[in-house]
Amino acid sequence: MGGFGIGSRNSAVVPSANVPIAAPPEVLKLPPREWVKANLFSSPFNSVLTLLTTVVLLAIFRGFLAFVFDPVRQWDSTATNLQLFMTRAYPDDQYIRIWFCVAVILILTGVSMAVWRAGSTMPVAAIGHKLLGTGALLVLLALLAPFSASATIQWLVAALAVAATGEVLRRSPGKGEDERTVSTLTVLVIALAGLVASLWVVPYGHHTYIANRVPRVLAEPGTVALTTKLPWTVMLLIVVTAYFAGRLMRDRLPANPIRATLMVLWLLAPPVLVYLVLRDPDFDIGHVVGTDLPIFLAYATGGAALLSWLTRPSTGEAGRIIAVLILLVGFCTFLTPMRMVVRIDMLMLAVFALAAPTFAGGPRARKRYAVGWLGVLGVASWLITSINTPSTVEVPGGFFIGGLSITLMVAVFTILFSFPLGIGLALARTSSMPIFRHLSTGFIEIVRGVPLITILIFFSIMVPLFLPTGMHLDEVTAVIIGYVLFSSAYLAENVRGGLQSVTRGQHEAADAVGMTTAQKTVFIVLPQALRVSIPPLVGHCIGVFKETSLLAIIGVFDLLYIARIVIPGQTEFMGSARENLLFVSVIYWIFAYQLSKASQRLERRTGLGER
Amino acid sequence: MTDATPAEPTAGQIRDLSRGRDMIVCEDVSKWYGDFQALDKVSATIKEQEVVVVLGPSGSGKSTWIRCINRLEIHQEGRIVVDDVELTNDLRNIEKVRSEVGMVFQQFNLFPHLNILDNVSLAPIWVRKKPRAEAESQAMALLERVGIPEQAQKYPGQLSGGQQQRVAIARALAMEPRIMLFDEPTSALDPEMIKEVLDVIKTLALSGMTMMVVTHEMGFAKEVADRLIFMEGGQIVEENTTELFFSNPTEDRTKLFLSQIL
Repeated sequence: MGGFGIGSRNSAVVPSANVPIAAPPEVLKLPPREWVKANLFSSPFNSVLTLLTTVVLLAIFRGFLAFVFDPVRQWDSTATNLQLFMTRAYPDDQYIRIWFCVAVILILTGVSMAVWRAGSTMPVAAIGHKLLGTGALLVLLALLAPFSASATIQWLVAALAVAATGEVLRRSPGKGEDERTVSTLTVLVIALAGLVASLWVVPYGHHTYIANRVPRVLAEPGTVALTTKLPWTVMLLIVVTAYFAGRLMRDRLPANPIRATLMVLWLLAPPVLVYLVLRDPDFDIGHVVGTDLPIFLAYATGGAALLSWLTRPSTGEAGRIIAVLILLVGFCTFLTPMRMVVRIDMLMLAVFALAAPTFAGGPRARKRYAVGWLGVLGVASWLITSINTPSTVEVPGGFFIGGLSITLMVAVFTILFSFPLGIGLALARTSSMPIFRHLSTGFIEIVRGVPLITILIFFSIMVPLFLPTGMHLDEVTAVIIGYVLFSSAYLAENVRGGLQSVTRGQHEAADAVGMTTAQKTVFIVLPQALRVSIPPLVGHCIGVFKETSLLAIIGVFDLLYIARIVIPGQTEFMGSARENLLFVSVIYWIFAYQLSKASQRLERRTGLGER
Repeated sequence: MTDATPAEPTAGQIRDLSRGRDMIVCEDVSKWYGDFQALDKVSATIKEQEVVVVLGPSGSGKSTWIRCINRLEIHQEGRIVVDDVELTNDLRNIEKVRSEVGMVFQQFNLFPHLNILDNVSLAPIWVRKKPRAEAESQAMALLERVGIPEQAQKYPGQLSGGQQQRVAIARALAMEPRIMLFDEPTSALDPEMIKEVLDVIKTLALSGMTMMVVTHEMGFAKEVADRLIFMEGGQIVEENTTELFFSNPTEDRTKLFLSQIL
């Protein structure tokens, strides 16, 4: 192919430079009065519709305000029980662990925001605009709410002050190039600082939990205890410091290693933190050194050597035969009594061995594959060890933690584990191999046909009975496994929709360049399929987050259960369920809305290159 | 052959094809879609460095045949041997043939989620197990050859049809194939873009690649092909050298086809 040179580079020439390019017509921005006329009162019918809708909306808003500001409402029940909402009765003397977890998550957040350059700048005028809108809303609130005359005037003054600040900000800055802007992160930090500062002055109230007294939760009005406001102040400082540290790292170090490290840390954080919340400091080291470590080391050295050999391009067919043999050995380990860790590790090794020919390559690729195996093995061994050792933190009640913490924990773990499982099920269901296809289809249809509550009760009560001797399963772990199975069945169907949207041409193009089925799936099909299924997958995540409220049925004190049963049962706050339910709804909404926003950002980012 | 001398010598006249070995051998290949017979005892041999153009009306089985050669379609009867490897259900043979045979599709089928450079270098890295740096410099060289090195960091959706098809050719060449199959490479393109793609294919033909091209571009066929195969109804109607095919077709059906098209 020596004399190969093309002269067609100029064949797709753009229009030459002297042709004037017409600018797009400017979009006219109507002044407010004309905008209202054009959009709300354009015809008699439209005018009637606008008036009617306004009346209905105002009536609803007024009804809502009447509920919120009714003097009968016991909002102090919510404010006083915030700690209960967050962690339930986690012992006060161990609370430093919770704060440590929060700090780790905040540090990771701060550094990640800096490294991934989160946030943008917004013009001061836009902030002014928003403040003006807020002021207008507050005026409306002051006029509609059932306040006394003096209270109305106070609210009105405050509202007008907000609106006036907004108007000043809106008018002051210049236009165009020298427009004054401010970083969104600064705005966020100012808002958070305001919240933290309010802990020191506003009488939110707090509670103490005393185990040997009835009622056990004693609520006390007054400003928040020092154990809450001091840590939160420290947390704010930590996240700001972490952000600036992240900026330093971003400017000094190469981008890709930092990002990869952060990703790994994010993935490792949930199990490590849960471990921290659960474990007693004096832990059974003898068992770890005597059993767990030797098993880990054997698999680590043996497995790494084997995989290094299997990923040699010259190994060829013999490698596949050995991989299948390992899988068979893995299944056989279930026929004789032995430690569960040995069996699980054997199955994982089989999966890695089966995938080895796909990732075969030069010395660097082989080394990376072996390191990947060590990483997965390490995390898995450590997870199994930590699940197998019971919680030793003395907590009243059946569970070590409750409230928002357990809601988040179950949701995060369910999403984390059901993604790989769901994708695997979807691939199996669309596979050409009948065994995998039928197994996966059967699993999905059975799990989807059973109510979630049934699965949860089954896993919390029945599964611990089936376990082999010597293996304990924490009840929360059992329940999370139930959630993961249920969620992965639905997730698999969403992913399958995405898989079907990948055109036949893409499969053929991958086949035509000689890719194996595994390579085609990993590099061509899955990226496109997952991109298409982002909206249903995020919808699914939101669903999982909200479904954690079913935990209440098996006796776990989740957020909803505390709001509905626990707080209204306190003698001081009899019948305060409605206030707390409203508060809990707001918490659920905030998280779900953030997920939804994240999905929109993700869609925009992955939409790159598609026209 | 003496009375029909073309203005320019064809690729076959530049090279000596008589000593070339058989690269593709088809013997009585038949295929059915349900009850419809798409291929009916197709037999042909393509030698090393030969350029064969397959012509015929729509639905005559040209595309089906060419797609059987790297087993994107499975033939039900007969034998297909590519570079001494017979295509059977044996996965190893299929992988071997596919890595020796490059294919360019009517609809380009670039990977929309990868940029142009990754589109071209993905298969060499993972199928040929080349180091990334080497694969990428080779990909850049190929993009240079097809005339679009400046587009390397863009995504397929940002390119024109002609540019996309040239990337598709570069992607196929990156596997260093011994045979190239073109399945109507210009049918989805604007007339203006057809030329830029045909130029690339033409240069490739002159460089000595063994090629099979399904196309409707008669001028291109006349210029590049060593041999023409005319198909209808899943059968090969006529098979002849380029000069004789256009100047002196033997079959009536071929004459009718040429009279309608030229």
